[in-house]
Amino acid sequence: MRPAASDVDLALALPPYLSFICDACGYIYNEAEGDVDGGLAAGTRYADIPDDWACPLCGVTKADFTLYQAPSLDALRAQLQGRRIGPVASRRDSAGVVIVGAGRAGWQTAEALRALDPDLPISMVTACLGDVYDKPQLSVAMARGLSADRLVRESGADAALRLNVRLLSETHAVSVNSATQTLRTTRGTLHYGHLVLAHGAQAALPPSMPAPLCWRVNHLGMYLRLRVALGDVKANGAKDVLIVGAGLVGCELANDLALGGHHVTLIDTQVQPLARWSSEQVGQPLLAAWQSLTLRFVGGVTVASLVRKGPGYQLSTTDGQTFDADQVIAATGLQTPSRLALSAGLAWRDGIAVDAETLSTSVPRIHALGDCITIDGRSSRFIEPIARQARTVAAAICGAAPVLYAARAAVVRVKTSSWPLTLH
Amino acid sequence: MNLADLSKATLSPTVAPISAPGQGLIDAVHAIAQGPLKAQVEAIDSGLYPSELLKALGATGGMSAHLAQPVGPFDYGLAIRAMAEVSRVCGATGFMVWCHAVCGLYMQQSGNPALMGEALQRHARGERLGGTALSNPMKSYAGIESLLLKATPVAGGWLVNGALPWVSNLGPDHYCGAVAGVVNAAGEATHELMFMLRCDAVGVELRECPSFSGMEGTGTYALRLSNLFIGADDVMANPAKPTIGRIRAAFVMLQCGMAVGVTQGAIDSIWAVEGQLGHVNQFLEDRPDTLQAELDALTERVMVLARTPFDTSTEFFINVLDARAHGAELCLRAAQSALMHQGARGYLLSSDVQRRVRESHFVAIVTPAIKHLRKEIARLSTEESPA
Repeated sequence: MRPAASDVDLALALPPYLSFICDACGYIYNEAEGDVDGGLAAGTRYADIPDDWACPLCGVTKADFTLYQAPSLDALRAQLQGRRIGPVASRRDSAGVVIVGAGRAGWQTAEALRALDPDLPISMVTACLGDVYDKPQLSVAMARGLSADRLVRESGADAALRLNVRLLSETHAVSVNSATQTLRTTRGTLHYGHLVLAHGAQAALPPSMPAPLCWRVNHLGMYLRLRVALGDVKANGAKDVLIVGAGLVGCELANDLALGGHHVTLIDTQVQPLARWSSEQVGQPLLAAWQSLTLRFVGGVTVASLVRKGPGYQLSTTDGQTFDADQVIAATGLQTPSRLALSAGLAWRDGIAVDAETLSTSVPRIHALGDCITIDGRSSRFIEPIARQARTVAAAICGAAPVLYAARAAVVRVKTSSWPLTLH
Repeated sequence: MNLADLSKATLSPTVAPISAPGQGLIDAVHAIAQGPLKAQVEAIDSGLYPSELLKALGATGGMSAHLAQPVGPFDYGLAIRAMAEVSRVCGATGFMVWCHAVCGLYMQQSGNPALMGEALQRHARGERLGGTALSNPMKSYAGIESLLLKATPVAGGWLVNGALPWVSNLGPDHYCGAVAGVVNAAGEATHELMFMLRCDAVGVELRECPSFSGMEGTGTYALRLSNLFIGADDVMANPAKPTIGRIRAAFVMLQCGMAVGVTQGAIDSIWAVEGQLGHVNQFLEDRPDTLQAELDALTERVMVLARTPFDTSTEFFINVLDARAHGAELCLRAAQSALMHQGARGYLLSSDVQRRVRESHFVAIVTPAIKHLRKEIARLSTEESPA
């Protein structure tokens, strides 16, 4: 059906309504709408606006209006795209390096960076206080009578001052946006030029062992609280301590706490301690060496449950045995937290997958080292490689001559002082 | 013509330019938002409660997409997109959509036949309107403040007493979900009770709040309860904690719709002046294309989270809290940037940009505020150990 003739005539007769923009304030006069409050009926053409009419927003007259055509958003976008001058010095260029973690890997990276560049801005984000200490000491501290202040080599605040590092202590790194090169934290968002993930690994607890009921000795903070809970043997008497897991950490701790005078029970799913190194047949001589200590090993058991019992705890095993203890320690291995890496889109293989020689992750400008990385799917959670890894990462960030990292087979010295041993 | 906006034709049609399931719903919400809502947005900002608009939004299904059948498709992503369409035009109304949506969530999760079935269907369709008084209990569970309402057991139910400041989307015939600490005869707190608080019940008084700097039309009142009787029909959860633990991620996640929408509105306002002012605006930070890229990435992150709203793991909840915090921060930056881009015209009291700055402040301070989010992430990130 054809439209009514009068509509067609009208549409042909009248030019389309136009819009005019006030060059002073941006008000847009639309001829179709007019300015009723200002005395211009809907449909008033620009040409018919009296000269004394005033812009309803800013008061200028019609002479300050120009023809307005709403631009298409696509055209504006394209314009901006072709004109990427970079309006201001991009924040990310001056952002420097952000290091997540203030354990050995974090501080070694800060040292190595500072050695190469005295002016590079370095920020460090850590959930703890950032105090500098040697983690291996935690395995021998009791026998050597090391107190909290002797374990800390340098406070985090002092180390930050010495290295000119901005230290954000007691701050949790939450997520990474690699497109905007930002790290989100519980104290705000940091821009980074380079990001170094050195946050280490966490204790992996079996579901049968609730976190509020057992200690883990993976960092200084929790270790010192364990020491407070154990108290002084001379003043408070010996405690019954149950350690779950007879790997390196479990054996060293059991040895140290027993030498410190406590009554230690060490249990493991395997029938001998250090079973991971079974080919070296160290379990039996180690047990023999422990005979003179207040240390008992129970092998071949699996934890079924751990509950509070009076002021202490009771642990049951799947074969029906029960163990009462004043304190329980889990030394059941480590796992790498994945949230940061996944938020950044980093390749992941049981840890942050890094290049074997450059330690770069799968995403540009993000590096990783220490306990949180894996090379060819394998982690290496020992002390020796960390300083070398830090030099590799620092050289890459500073654009210095590349320092290629070479993974070596670790030689592990087990600090079971009653029978020290070396594992290969 | 509204000078803070380009003509409709030049704007991208909806927040998420996809023809995903639910596009019909998004189109219907978009039409209301860009039509009648846009016409009333200033009035709502200064005190008009848009009861008819909310009912119209409810009729489209725009306030119940997160609920399960038969009332909604159980699509949190769709619910968030719908809320964003509303918030893009009016932050206050977007906030009320959230209030109503989480109230529906409480009803749905109550397992109480009296609050499900027909009652939930009428709620989902927007025939009855509801809000949420969970700001205080959420802060209480995060260790930020203590519970303000007390419930004393009596024959057949409880008597609830106390006062709550600032509960939104209320009206004389509305209702909201609330939580009270139950105290035994000895005056000791035993657990918490979550219940449906009906504004027209005996013992409930709605008191006017002092003026806010914006978003005045949100039906926000102080509630004073004296011996309000709660019987079995109005129990949402007893004890409340397991239910709160189950819904807390969904509760926070839905708010992302407000942040995404207000941010998009701010970006729209920047584009609106790009033709005239681009030659000077190029010297500003936070240009529209970079803001849009960041918003798109955040929206995508939220859409992934929205697939599993009832994941109760700590890691998931931290991710939700972080996305919500990012939304609030981006919203602040975008609104501030829109004001810088618009210059004097954005400083007019009647400007959308001016209103949106206040809306962005609201997104950043409403529970959970940025500071609460960070504190809660820190608390959840701290390793537990023996005392």
